[in-house]
Amino acid sequence: MAEGYVEYRGLKKNFGATPVLHGIDLKIDEGAFVVLVGPSGCGKSTLLRMTAGLEGITDGDIKIAGQVVNRVHASNRGIAMVFQSYALYPHMSVNENLGFSLKMRKTPLERIADAIKGAAGILKLSPLLERLPAQLSGGQRQRVAMGRALVREPAVFLFDEPLSNLDAKLRVEMRAEIKALHQRLETTTIYVTHDQIEAMTMADTVVVMHDGRIEQVGAPLEIYDRPENLFVADFLGSPAMNLMDGKVVATDFPDQPRAVEVAPGVLLPIPGGAEAEPGQDVVYGIRPEHVTLVAADVGEPVTMTLVEPAGWETHLHADLAGLTLRILSVERVGARPGDQVGILIDPERVHLFDRGTGRRL
Amino acid sequence: MATLASRREISAIGQPPSLLDELLRRFGRVILIGIPLAFLVIWTMVPIVWALLASLKDPLEIYESTTFLPRDPSLRAYWIVLGMDGFGKWLFNSILVTLVATIVPLILSILAAYAFAKYLFPFRHVLLLMYLIPRIIPRVSLIVPLNDLMTDLGLINTYWVLYITYIASAVPLATWILVGFFKAVPKEIEESATIDGANMWNRLRYVILPIAWPGVVTAAVLCIREGWNEFAFVLALVTETGMRTLPYALYMLRDSMGVQDYAVYNAFTILTVLPLLVVYLLLERRVVESIVSGAVK
Repeated sequence: MAEGYVEYRGLKKNFGATPVLHGIDLKIDEGAFVVLVGPSGCGKSTLLRMTAGLEGITDGDIKIAGQVVNRVHASNRGIAMVFQSYALYPHMSVNENLGFSLKMRKTPLERIADAIKGAAGILKLSPLLERLPAQLSGGQRQRVAMGRALVREPAVFLFDEPLSNLDAKLRVEMRAEIKALHQRLETTTIYVTHDQIEAMTMADTVVVMHDGRIEQVGAPLEIYDRPENLFVADFLGSPAMNLMDGKVVATDFPDQPRAVEVAPGVLLPIPGGAEAEPGQDVVYGIRPEHVTLVAADVGEPVTMTLVEPAGWETHLHADLAGLTLRILSVERVGARPGDQVGILIDPERVHLFDRGTGRRL
Repeated sequence: MATLASRREISAIGQPPSLLDELLRRFGRVILIGIPLAFLVIWTMVPIVWALLASLKDPLEIYESTTFLPRDPSLRAYWIVLGMDGFGKWLFNSILVTLVATIVPLILSILAAYAFAKYLFPFRHVLLLMYLIPRIIPRVSLIVPLNDLMTDLGLINTYWVLYITYIASAVPLATWILVGFFKAVPKEIEESATIDGANMWNRLRYVILPIAWPGVVTAAVLCIREGWNEFAFVLALVTETGMRTLPYALYMLRDSMGVQDYAVYNAFTILTVLPLLVVYLLLERRVVESIVSGAVK
């Protein structure tokens, strides 16, 4: 099997007696943009900090560029890290911040000046070089933090939730800037976030983590379209996927021999290829945008309970035999709370999970 | 009127105003805060001003004490003090001992505080508390055992005895001040420096100390003050005239030297206090900034 540029093998981490990473195995290709995503406390930042050399390793190996770096000092791993708080040196000018790592490496002054000039040019920091961090806006500080990483020409960029402190508009801008920077430099990048939009929009590969384990690894749309388990299905997507407990039942319809009964008398279609036997307890999943609104007498009847027009789309809640169903429509919807409408579900868009194991069927 | 009425309504709806709010509203901040502050300033300044004015008076005029201001101000007392045998030596002793009792504790405390603030080693909380022991025990109760110990070591009447005791007294103070300032430096900044290739010394030199500089200045000022004003140790451990520091010499001025000229006492006092005042005035802004920022954090 081919080696990854960054590779984790059976990586474990305990804080005291508490295990926080339970054995991570992952290969990251050279030049890839990998996003570690998961809820708070899932271990993604710990994994990044271990990669950086800021946390010790309880068990397992980390390899960077073919070399096991478990005992290599943070400064010699060929990595550069951008922190959530930027971690700029407040008493140094932008110029000094950018050049600090090279100064520590006793790089000749002319080369430091060239590197600073190069990074400042790429990140549009040239007019700000004499300023102190306190005199910069949030976005500018973020760019300085990236510039500081850039001047070192690292083998791997590590980003620890770098956009969390920015406002929504700036976050979108910086997201694009980081992505553009990666496309330009093609440096292997590991990016930690709890924001699924960042994960989906920026990554070549998304790694979904939960409770110290990797739940799924794949391309963003692949994970979105085929979540391997209930956690991933529930975590990715906004509004979240509708997940309903049900039981597989046999039907009399020749084109739909099986369905899932999510409430007494409410049968919802399932994909033809799903490996589910009648009588099996399952969780029925359907994304809000895959529920189609139709007239009440055409589809499964539901009652509207909430209508939230957002302009470019409409978020709706409907009551389906006592269950709340989230619906996302890109059309403008005239329905009002209390209205009776029908819904249609494309069986090929349905996700079916075993209720016991949570695995995809 | 409308405004008054609506204000009453608001206060009736919300919490009833506390007595302090009511007093503040009635008498205003200037009176409530200004008067106590003015009192404090007067309380602090009167002895210094009194000593300064007295030092400019004629010795007999002080005894008459009919006027606050000197009738015929003169620097006579200052010339007497500056002309005293040994004054130069006492001043030198004070400066030397204070410098050593500031620089050495600062170096030791910076290293100790960095370890206490940034490294997770066993019993660090207990050790930090133990640091306070030299300052918890009343100084007077240390004098006899210290005198015995230093006599046995043959250090009485040497600079070493002053260095050792002054440093031992200043290190806990400076360490405690610096631990707080070092802890306030965000962990990420130091981690960033680590990744940037800075070893511990470089992190301390280029990152931690510049950020925590107000704390270092505060610790330095307090060490200077302690060293300059130290009295108990020098009284107990030094007997030779040539080893005295200014506060000790001032104390001895009347008892041993038999000087009855109060203008000279006061001139000596002013000359003793003056260097410390100059240091305070030079560094006052930094110290206030650091105390305020420490309080907010």
